[in-house]
Amino acid sequence: MSTALRDLIANPNAAELELIARYGMLPEDARRERAFEAFAKGGLPHRRVEGWHWSDFKASLPVIETPAQPGTAQDPLPADDAVLFSFTPTGFTSAESLPEGIRVLAKPEAQAFGASENMPLGALAAALAGGKTKPGTLMIEVTGQDLPRLHFRFSGAGEANFARVQIIVRPGAKLAVSESYLGGAGFTASLMEFSLQAGAECSRTVYQRTGKAEVLAATGAVQLDEGADYRQTTLAFGGKLTRLETRLTHQETGAKATLNAAYLCADGHHADITTEVRHGAPSCVTRQLTKGAVLDGGRGVYQGKFFVPRNVGQKTDADMQHNALLLEEGAEVFAKPELEIYADDVECAHGNTSGALDTNQMFYMRQRGITEEEARALLTEAFIAEALEEAGELEDVLRVQARAWLAR
Amino acid sequence: MLKIENLTATVGEAEEAKQIINGLTLEVPAGEVHAIMGPNGAGKSTLSYVLTGRSGYEVTGGSVTLNGEDILSMEPEERAAKGMFLSFQYPVEIPGVPVMTFVRTAMNSQRKLRGEDEISAPDFIKKSREIAKQLKLDAEMLKRPVNVGFSGGEKKRLEIYQMMMLEPNFLILDETDSGLDIDALKTVAEGVNAMRSPERGMLVITHYQRLLDYIKPDKVHVLSAGRIIKTGGADLAHRLEAEGYEGVVGEAV
Repeated sequence: MSTALRDLIANPNAAELELIARYGMLPEDARRERAFEAFAKGGLPHRRVEGWHWSDFKASLPVIETPAQPGTAQDPLPADDAVLFSFTPTGFTSAESLPEGIRVLAKPEAQAFGASENMPLGALAAALAGGKTKPGTLMIEVTGQDLPRLHFRFSGAGEANFARVQIIVRPGAKLAVSESYLGGAGFTASLMEFSLQAGAECSRTVYQRTGKAEVLAATGAVQLDEGADYRQTTLAFGGKLTRLETRLTHQETGAKATLNAAYLCADGHHADITTEVRHGAPSCVTRQLTKGAVLDGGRGVYQGKFFVPRNVGQKTDADMQHNALLLEEGAEVFAKPELEIYADDVECAHGNTSGALDTNQMFYMRQRGITEEEARALLTEAFIAEALEEAGELEDVLRVQARAWLAR
Repeated sequence: MLKIENLTATVGEAEEAKQIINGLTLEVPAGEVHAIMGPNGAGKSTLSYVLTGRSGYEVTGGSVTLNGEDILSMEPEERAAKGMFLSFQYPVEIPGVPVMTFVRTAMNSQRKLRGEDEISAPDFIKKSREIAKQLKLDAEMLKRPVNVGFSGGEKKRLEIYQMMMLEPNFLILDETDSGLDIDALKTVAEGVNAMRSPERGMLVITHYQRLLDYIKPDKVHVLSAGRIIKTGGADLAHRLEAEGYEGVVGEAV
């Protein structure tokens, strides 16, 4: 590779050199270049970078390689009645026929990514998506209402899997989207962009389950116009290091966002749920509920931020709750809820708790003959269930997955 | 049936541990109902937790057997599967777990521990319906999370519902009368009396004699400072009510 490219990242590790090499192999493209530069400025984010303290990608990703023991999770989200798009390390498949009201364009080139400075791994996905077999940007325009769900599957063994999807939901249109991150690649980075125009509705369900070897950064960038309604539900089991990040902007009056998530981390699994919501218009509503349960050796990270500027954020109504259960000694949860509010006429609340299972409840259940393991599973399922309630038709599927994890 | 011999037990951890049960001996034969009465702090609730295996309550001496089997070495759920049932003084709320799910899970878990088959859904529902009717429990209540938002009386009736569903061999009622008005008390007592049988023993722990007007005991024991200091017939409860614990305890010392 050329010296100029190599110098893009200061003191690169082997993984960063590999990323530079991959970038060098893609066709020249000014927008791709800008995205890669946004990533390269800091390289893989690490513990000394604000917002990445607990999720150090540079340390977790010394090299990019196919995992020796990739996760073998099947995709539990049903795709039979959905429009399926599948991204693997080496290829991409798309539904052959599309219903009216959905238009798909697989663009070879990158598109501009405005907020790339704040989302280094989103910028990386934007820069490295594409090549001979995969679209640089998968653009989807939605104009209908009674549409089948769009399902995006990220899986398949290999070194790295990059993808970028831009979804525009036109005024008054309605859409359900789901994503399954099933691992297989040593490193997966995706950028999912959602633009909901006036009065549009979108529900998004994100399921993540990989083995202990995979590193994942799934970045969601969401913009809401007037009266748009966005509902997101995430169920994450973590991996070597997984970060599911959502950055949402209310940019016109009266938009509504629900951002719920549940994380369940077993030994050797790290799940990071990070969100930032900007109330850039008056009278917008945000509801956020994150619930987690962690076993010995597991690690959960929750970072949530509401930002309400002085002039435009009046009449904001926002609530952020994070509750974590430390199921065993040795479980770790790190939480940073932040409210940054400059407007004076707002209703913003937040709550953050972590603790063990209630010993009174445990004893009561065991006295009735329920085994310790089963009591723990029942209580934990009841604890996280509320965070899955907005997932609509997929709620049951998510609960079954959570229950199976708890019952192991 | 239940045989407690020279039992000693402490509450609390390590150096904080405090001896609450001090050489308690008691036998409840099958078919009998025994009452344990005693002043506050005598160790009544502690005894119920020691018998059912709650953590934090450590047995330091003596033995407890149920039908000849040592139960002190068993986990709480194993004791439950052997037929031990505790009606809690303060039933616990379990948000997110509906009553029916809870009781069915408990019933099947007990059956599994005993090596029996699970109850079928129709059989379970039929049984539940009959018992709910008997206890004047609203069917809607059984769909709600366990004890969440229930009144004191509803919680106690739900304890009896669980008892009748699970059909234990040995029942411990811990202050079951507390928080009940007279009608609720009658309903609860009817439920308990319906459970009386030649194979089943009961230990009724109570502070007041009122409950014993409805659940007639074969014997009444007075518990003080972690030991049984007096045993008598049902009339002993009335004497305690009339003379107070001090009078009776004073006489015994």
